[in-house]
Amino acid sequence: MKNFLKDILLFIAFAAIFYIIAIPVWRSGMPARFSPNINYLLGAYGHMFSRMDDLKTTDDIDILFLGSSHAYRGFDTRIFSKNSINTFNLGSSSQTPIQSNMLLNRYLDHIDPEVIIFEVFPFSFDSDGVESSLDIIANDKNDLHSFLMALEVGHVKTWNTLIYATYRDIFNLDASFSEPIERGKDIYVKGGYVEKDLAYYSPDSFPQQEIIINRKQLRQFEYMVTQTKDNDIKLVLVYAPIPRENYLSYTNNQYFDSLMTSYGDYYNFNDILTLDDSLHFYDSHHLNQNGVVIFNEKLIDILKSGLE
Amino acid sequence: MLFNSLDFAIFLPVVFLLYWFVTNKHLKLQNTLIVVASYFFYGWWDWRFLSLIMFSTLVDYTIGVHLAKADNQLKRKALLWTSIGVNLGFLGFFKYYNFFLENFVSAFSFFGMEINANSLHIILPVGISFYTFQSLSYTIDVYRKKLAPCTDVIAFSAFVSFFPQLVAGPIERATNLLPQFFHKRTFDYTQAVDGMRQILWGLFKKMVIADNCAIYANDIFNNSADYGGSTLILGALFFAFQIYGDFSGYSDIAIGTARLFGFNLRQNFAFPYFSRDIAEFWRRWHISLSTWFRDYLYIPLGGSRMGTRTSIRNIFIIFIVSGFWHGANWTFIIWGALNAIYFLPLFLTKNNRKNLDVVSKGKFFPTLKELTAILLTFGLTTIAWIFFRAENLQHAISYISEILSPSLFALPDLLALKDYAVVFVLISFLIFMEWIGRESQYALENFGLKQKRIIRWSFYAFLIFMIGMFMQTDETPFIYFQF
Repeated sequence: MKNFLKDILLFIAFAAIFYIIAIPVWRSGMPARFSPNINYLLGAYGHMFSRMDDLKTTDDIDILFLGSSHAYRGFDTRIFSKNSINTFNLGSSSQTPIQSNMLLNRYLDHIDPEVIIFEVFPFSFDSDGVESSLDIIANDKNDLHSFLMALEVGHVKTWNTLIYATYRDIFNLDASFSEPIERGKDIYVKGGYVEKDLAYYSPDSFPQQEIIINRKQLRQFEYMVTQTKDNDIKLVLVYAPIPRENYLSYTNNQYFDSLMTSYGDYYNFNDILTLDDSLHFYDSHHLNQNGVVIFNEKLIDILKSGLE
Repeated sequence: MLFNSLDFAIFLPVVFLLYWFVTNKHLKLQNTLIVVASYFFYGWWDWRFLSLIMFSTLVDYTIGVHLAKADNQLKRKALLWTSIGVNLGFLGFFKYYNFFLENFVSAFSFFGMEINANSLHIILPVGISFYTFQSLSYTIDVYRKKLAPCTDVIAFSAFVSFFPQLVAGPIERATNLLPQFFHKRTFDYTQAVDGMRQILWGLFKKMVIADNCAIYANDIFNNSADYGGSTLILGALFFAFQIYGDFSGYSDIAIGTARLFGFNLRQNFAFPYFSRDIAEFWRRWHISLSTWFRDYLYIPLGGSRMGTRTSIRNIFIIFIVSGFWHGANWTFIIWGALNAIYFLPLFLTKNNRKNLDVVSKGKFFPTLKELTAILLTFGLTTIAWIFFRAENLQHAISYISEILSPSLFALPDLLALKDYAVVFVLISFLIFMEWIGRESQYALENFGLKQKRIIRWSFYAFLIFMIGMFMQTDETPFIYFQF
């Protein structure tokens, strides 16, 4: 029995080393379709690479935005600048509380904001967080925080991609990579915002759905709330506007509102603003630039009155 | 609890350590641990159905004890039929109630008589078809005086609920498994390592082969009206490997896990896709079920000893019942009947026991004749799988009709073929490994054992790597859980 247990432990160590070495060898030597569980999204949709690059030269800001694409496509840093508020938008595609918490842990000391605006969208609380973890792993440096995030996400794609990304980090293989500021209809704006060419949404119907809160995501969210309190940072929770039909398809919005209210200052802009689905959105989730202006100006008003 | 889940990856080592380090000195304690662990394993899905297993266990245990005491043949028969009635009654209610109801209603409606009957929303308890058959084998064997009745309720409960094979087999015979609960188990390094190897190979077959084939098989079967004949053939091929990888993978994990605890379960799959005729295929596919039906249905019906006509009837009965065992759907019945039709010419020409040994034994390459026979058998099996996989008979017939249409000669969508390529490579690897290992109990049993440890370990680590690289990221249940 002793020998068996000893051999099992030895084999686990051996297999782990083999696995770590095999990932970059396999990924480099085989066509991408032969590594479906490595999803290295360098410079992918959402300008995360440019945002992380931008962040390195940013410090001393008033407001930090966190959240999903509703954040990086919804909080226009230029509008805040016009109102003499320095902001940085650290939203990323499908960002969930796991990633928001991880980004805070990694960058809070560097950014040192006075206020954090966390964009809360019900779907983010029910997501496994894989998509966003892949985006961040590929487009930012990797360290212990990435490891802890992978542990929290607990998904084979996240682990494999982290191993591969770490190998690329170590050998500096992405040093020559640069992301174009303009890609398709998206333009990256300094400060993390991504502006889309003006377009309009054709309203559609949505099946009824229920907001479900994943316990793991809620726990991460609570860590974040605690962390901001411990650092004397004001936390503002914002539910960004989405098309009315989409919003009303959730059958338990009141539950979500009361849950968020229990964690601090919470503003649901689906109730605060009356927007037109076909004039102020470009798809079923995102505001177009006209909508962004209305939303941001209202938010600034609220923040100013609140901060005063 | 799924074998391919994190839950099981935690559960197994915990039970293993408790079994060998805490309860190892007392056999009864070890058996109790097996019962508790098995109920926990099963209750992880739905604890409500635990009562069903417990009830079935108590009924068969009590009947076994009374069978030993009863001298009166009438009483013995009554006891046996009580056991059969209870076990098949549960199975019939949970699995077949709605099927029979709907078919009665349709039949009456056909003759112009409308009946108002509401079907029930019945949840099928996982593994009910497996543990009821296992438990039944006990009472029948005790009735036949092939086996002494068990007087230890803990050991009997452990036999019925033994977690490695509780939900999808192999369906163990009481004569093989039950006595093992009465012998002191000593840890055997070689057996445990062999068990680990078999678990690894089973996980590879399930997570890499079956789950990847499932993507394309599901896509093609679920949208069969959109595809031409050549793509539909690919769909059937993918399903053939999906079901093999899924079910034989489960059996490998079950047998390997049992080995870790000092138990030997029977081989359930013996490289069936290398069979040279259908009779050989059925000696190599789901062996524990085929032999169950042979011993408890075919032979009692007279087997092949009562003349040609009765033999043909018996062959159809066991194939059709075997099909119906898989599910309450006409597709399974036709699947069984089709296999009976395949089998019949071999039986009538007395060629059904021609290929008893391993194909190309001791050689690397098969002869052209062997290869042709293997491909032909595989082709026939794959056609039958279409009925097994189809949603209903109409679906199966339209699927086969499209295959037989001129679209068979059109190339499958090339864009899709690029994606299929990965799965073809994986299947080729499986076939290669299984071919090399076909003279063993499972492909890896003797593979590379003479090589240095570093080489063997590298290969096993490579298999783990392949699982990590190709596994589907959602836990996918095993197909046979639904049976």
